[in-house]
Amino acid sequence: MTLIAGIDIGSRGTKIALIDRGGKLRGWHIARTKPPFEETVEAALAAALATVGASRGDVGYLITTGFGRSSYPERDTQVTDISAGAFGATAMFPKTRCVIDIGSQSSRAIHVDEIGRVKEFKSNDKCAAGAGGFVERAARYIETTLEEVGELSLAGEDPVTISSVCAVLAESEIINHVSQGRSVEDILRGVHNSLAERAIALLKRVGIEPEVTLVGGMARQRGMVRALSEMLQMPINIPETPEIVNALGAALLAKRRLERVAA
Amino acid sequence: MNIEVINRFDELIDECIETFESLDFPEARAWKSAEPGRALIGCFPVYAPVEIFHAAGALPVGLAGAGNRLEISHADARFQSFVCSIIKSTLELGMVGKLDDFDGLVFHSICDPARNLASVFTRNFPNTRVEYVHFPQRLHSEEAVTYLEREYRRILDWATATTGRSVTDEELRRSIALYNAIRTGIRWLYDFRRAEPHKLSTRELYALVRYGHVAPPEKHLRLLTHAFDELQRREGKPKDRARILLVGSFCEQPPLDLIASIESAGCYVVDDDFLLGRRFFSADVADSRNPLRDLADAYVNHSVDSSVKHDLGHSKAEALVARARAYDADAVVVLTAKFCEPALFDYALYRKAFHEAGMPHVFLEFEEKMWLFDKVKTEIETFVESLLFT
Repeated sequence: MTLIAGIDIGSRGTKIALIDRGGKLRGWHIARTKPPFEETVEAALAAALATVGASRGDVGYLITTGFGRSSYPERDTQVTDISAGAFGATAMFPKTRCVIDIGSQSSRAIHVDEIGRVKEFKSNDKCAAGAGGFVERAARYIETTLEEVGELSLAGEDPVTISSVCAVLAESEIINHVSQGRSVEDILRGVHNSLAERAIALLKRVGIEPEVTLVGGMARQRGMVRALSEMLQMPINIPETPEIVNALGAALLAKRRLERVAA
Repeated sequence: MNIEVINRFDELIDECIETFESLDFPEARAWKSAEPGRALIGCFPVYAPVEIFHAAGALPVGLAGAGNRLEISHADARFQSFVCSIIKSTLELGMVGKLDDFDGLVFHSICDPARNLASVFTRNFPNTRVEYVHFPQRLHSEEAVTYLEREYRRILDWATATTGRSVTDEELRRSIALYNAIRTGIRWLYDFRRAEPHKLSTRELYALVRYGHVAPPEKHLRLLTHAFDELQRREGKPKDRARILLVGSFCEQPPLDLIASIESAGCYVVDDDFLLGRRFFSADVADSRNPLRDLADAYVNHSVDSSVKHDLGHSKAEALVARARAYDADAVVVLTAKFCEPALFDYALYRKAFHEAGMPHVFLEFEEKMWLFDKVKTEIETFVESLLFT
């Protein structure tokens, strides 16, 4: 079996997607990113290979993406999260024209064409207020877990308003809401609304066009999906395993490149 | 810089960079102080008839702003916030005394801010001789060459008054021959990079060309000859990269790290318009009995397209697309200085032409003082990936 490995080295998680030469997803694995990145990748790759009964020798091509894409020396090539996310989302939902990718430290809106090629993108690099890390910190302040945030937010009935555009100030606002006795559910719904507003602001800059697909770990949080869907007034595509979309997209781009070079 | 004693090519490049990044113009000052009576004439981009100043006994020094190495404070009080960086940083160089050794400064009719910069210098530096070259705007007019020859005669009179010595036609011809040789050398380097971009990076090429803006031309010619010999021996393996035509930076120069970032994002640059003034002609300036007319004729009839030349009698946008095709470019990267009106006006026309020709392109803006390049690099990487992977 000859596999192509797409490796997304994110600031929070390292995601592996293994595809065969036909482009079929054969296996995947998600690990917590820890330095040194090379060891994290090797361990995650070994775990992903184990899920399909394959070994390192079965990997014919390695492609990396994510913020740590240049930190794995064994890679054959690398692509940006933008290209990978666009291609992965379009592979899963072929009618996708806009992709929202909310990662741990940055988020981005991507407008794609019918073959998953990036037409335009905007990102909120260097601003944590629009990224998943903000939710993680908010969860910590109100002493809940990241996994519970989505369901708690869904139960919020009267969301608080978080007006600050800076994560540090927004966290102060959350503390104020806690001290004023607002419910955890309402605060988390306010957090998701705040994040959704920022994502949509990015999306408007690249042009909103259905269908919209949300990728990245935030897509797991149903409260976030509701906030986005309500503000956009349209349904949003949610992949079954949203965390691995970029890794899958990278692997599929590698497959495309190998075919082009062979031709 | 002692060219002959530097053995390694990368060290030579580093020395070039160190020289042109210095705000103290070390080579020019050393040249001036070597003999009494020598003069420095600063030439604002894009093009200046440097042969005239050289023949008059001056060293023409290219003014290319101050990059991100000078804090702008005085100039902000004299120009609006929507004016490009090079205007302000050039004025700031004067305000902090970096141009005190210059005997004359020359500006041109390339845009409104450049026009105003000449006036601001005249007002603020009464002891510095400031001149303004009025290039013809209607280049296909029959009178354009005659007009420019007359204008060059006026500029020559100004130059001789600045240096205090007269100029013969023979001296002018010798200067033209020297700069012709330099332009030939630069053309060779550009041809070399286009053919074997894996052997000469754009960062290196840029350093070799820009050194000539701040050093005596005789020394620059020696540098180019040395580089020619080195590059002939250089080895390298081509990589899987996109071939791009890079345009839009003909006046204000992007930070060197930005140029390197574009390359490291997966591009081979097959042509660019950096530092266009010192390679402004597509062929040698003629050698006739009237050197000023030869220079004027070269500008009117044999100069390359640029956003600061207008009414050419042909479409610059179509010529750009044709150039991209001729150079086998996969795409065009339009990299313009923020607030550069000539570049932005042209981009509106380029964009339409790219769309009609099916030529992929990406538009990026830069400022002299930018020092973070991640965002631009990501944009270029994404663009290159759309070319290579999909």
